[in-house]
Amino acid sequence: MIAGAGGVGKTTVAAAVAVRAARSGARTLVVTVDPARRLAAALKIQDLSDEPKPHPDEPNLWAAQLDSSASWRAVAERHADPEVAHRLATNEFFQAAADHFPASQSYAAADQAATYVQARAWDLVVVDTPPSGGGTDFFTAPAQMADLVGGRLLRWITGGPLPGRRFLYNRAGRPVLKIADAVLGSDLLQRVSEFLLDLRTTYDGVARRGREIERVMREAVIFVVTTADPAPMHEAVRFYRDLPGVASTPDAVIFNRSLPEEWINPDGDFPPDVRQIVELWSAETARQKDFRESFSSRYGATVASIPWTSRPPTSLDDLANLVRNGSGIPWDALGISL
Amino acid sequence: MLDDRLVIVSGKGGTGKSAVAAGLALVAQRHGLRVLAAEMDASGGLSAHLSTSELAFKPRQVLPGLHAMRVVRSEALLEYLSLQLRIPGIGRFGGGVARSFDALSTAAPAIREIITIGKLLWEVKQDRWDMVVLDAPPTGQLGSYLRAPRSITELVPTGRIREQAEWMAGTLVDPEITRLVLVTLPEELPTSETMETIGWLEVEQITPPPLVLVNRVLPPLTVAKRPQGVAGEMVELHSAQLTEQKTWLETLPGDLTLPYLFGLFTPGEVSAHLSDLLEHLD
Repeated sequence: MIAGAGGVGKTTVAAAVAVRAARSGARTLVVTVDPARRLAAALKIQDLSDEPKPHPDEPNLWAAQLDSSASWRAVAERHADPEVAHRLATNEFFQAAADHFPASQSYAAADQAATYVQARAWDLVVVDTPPSGGGTDFFTAPAQMADLVGGRLLRWITGGPLPGRRFLYNRAGRPVLKIADAVLGSDLLQRVSEFLLDLRTTYDGVARRGREIERVMREAVIFVVTTADPAPMHEAVRFYRDLPGVASTPDAVIFNRSLPEEWINPDGDFPPDVRQIVELWSAETARQKDFRESFSSRYGATVASIPWTSRPPTSLDDLANLVRNGSGIPWDALGISL
Repeated sequence: MLDDRLVIVSGKGGTGKSAVAAGLALVAQRHGLRVLAAEMDASGGLSAHLSTSELAFKPRQVLPGLHAMRVVRSEALLEYLSLQLRIPGIGRFGGGVARSFDALSTAAPAIREIITIGKLLWEVKQDRWDMVVLDAPPTGQLGSYLRAPRSITELVPTGRIREQAEWMAGTLVDPEITRLVLVTLPEELPTSETMETIGWLEVEQITPPPLVLVNRVLPPLTVAKRPQGVAGEMVELHSAQLTEQKTWLETLPGDLTLPYLFGLFTPGEVSAHLSDLLEHLD
């Protein structure tokens, strides 16, 4: 699982790790979300779907793309009986719930990723986790989903034990509902409650599937990708703080766009035009080094680095080169021997 | 920008929108305006860039004239129910009402967003502030907030909340009040996301046209002769990045650019520096 804030290059890192693993002989599937055009071209996945396809030029490499707009709608429908499934499919609140429920996209992605792992067709499945509301969404989604479907929200609306459908037509005695009626008009709350009741019938199936997904997550190796910038670092810290409680401790933090330490105050007598550039990048390199070191000492993290290359990777060779020897990626955690 | 009453700062994740929001708030504060800076999630980006501790729902003074807050939905809702709707006895079962609404808002379109955006627009209406600066959700989630007032008017046929939603939609689209700033980077994915956002904003007309701020633009330095060794590598990276950035700068409307800040360590340093730069842009 490749986790991290948006915009730090998670997809590139996932692809690089997968290419190198495939070249070491492991049958590898890389699962990406919304890759940049050039990366998609390198992976030959411009028209990929969630159906894994073998890479034409790389014998052990498969690629698939998660549908970032997929929702748990399909998952919930899968676990409902036909009549309820039909009501859910046509329910006006379903899309709203999918949009609002913070874990819904993450749940669909986690479900898909777990399916690949359970297929046991690959030695390694590298999952580029989708950008989310933040932090550990992707990892907590199964539990949150079961909680939503399980009627917790419904209990809050009704303020008590789960009612039958008929109860919802008679809520004169409940001040909470009276207020909701006053604010929103009388039938909205009832329509939402009916929807949640239907959803609740899928609970057993969703909870069972959720436990399976969680099992896959707990066994996963997690790499947290960041750049040495304050905002993504803040997110990386949250992963190190929060993940041990919900999945497992990350196995490494990977600093993307790293500059080599010999760039700090290089020796030499430079002409003024060169000196200007050297001073800027020397300061940037020093800052990066400081960030990496403070992270590793604070969290005891294994630190790996991916170089800041002049051009974005456009071929499998470019990708493999990003994680060449010396990058610090703990390959043994992935069961890969190079 | 100092005349704007509400400045909404959004952008793809990782483009530096919290730093820009903090920088703008600091510029306004230096000009003697009474400023409220607000964030909408618990990521702590805004508070870090204002060099202050975690923010709460109640605005707290960060600098003379500058207050900061975080919009907490449950508290915004309780405040709304008691102040705006003047529902009697709300304190007695307030917590229950807030939880029920939260539950309801999971499934009902626009309820969740209207509560948050409503609180901010209510602050804009107050005489207490000359400017409200919002560190808004990233562009991927921005639409559901900006669309919420209109969605509510479609969902709720009559009554007070509908009137308020109409007022909110009118405020958001009023160029005398609202300015939307999109922060982006001269890179492939931030550029395409920004262009998409500009596209749907133009179609939907829910805010005035956005101001695009391109962050982390490298200085156009070149050398007469490429040096050997490490310095040569630095020059090569700089020149390759300049070429790459040029492609995306040509695609973006690029109303304004902010330079790459080399070697700055803390979020506070970054926003202080940005505020100096923004001051001169204005």
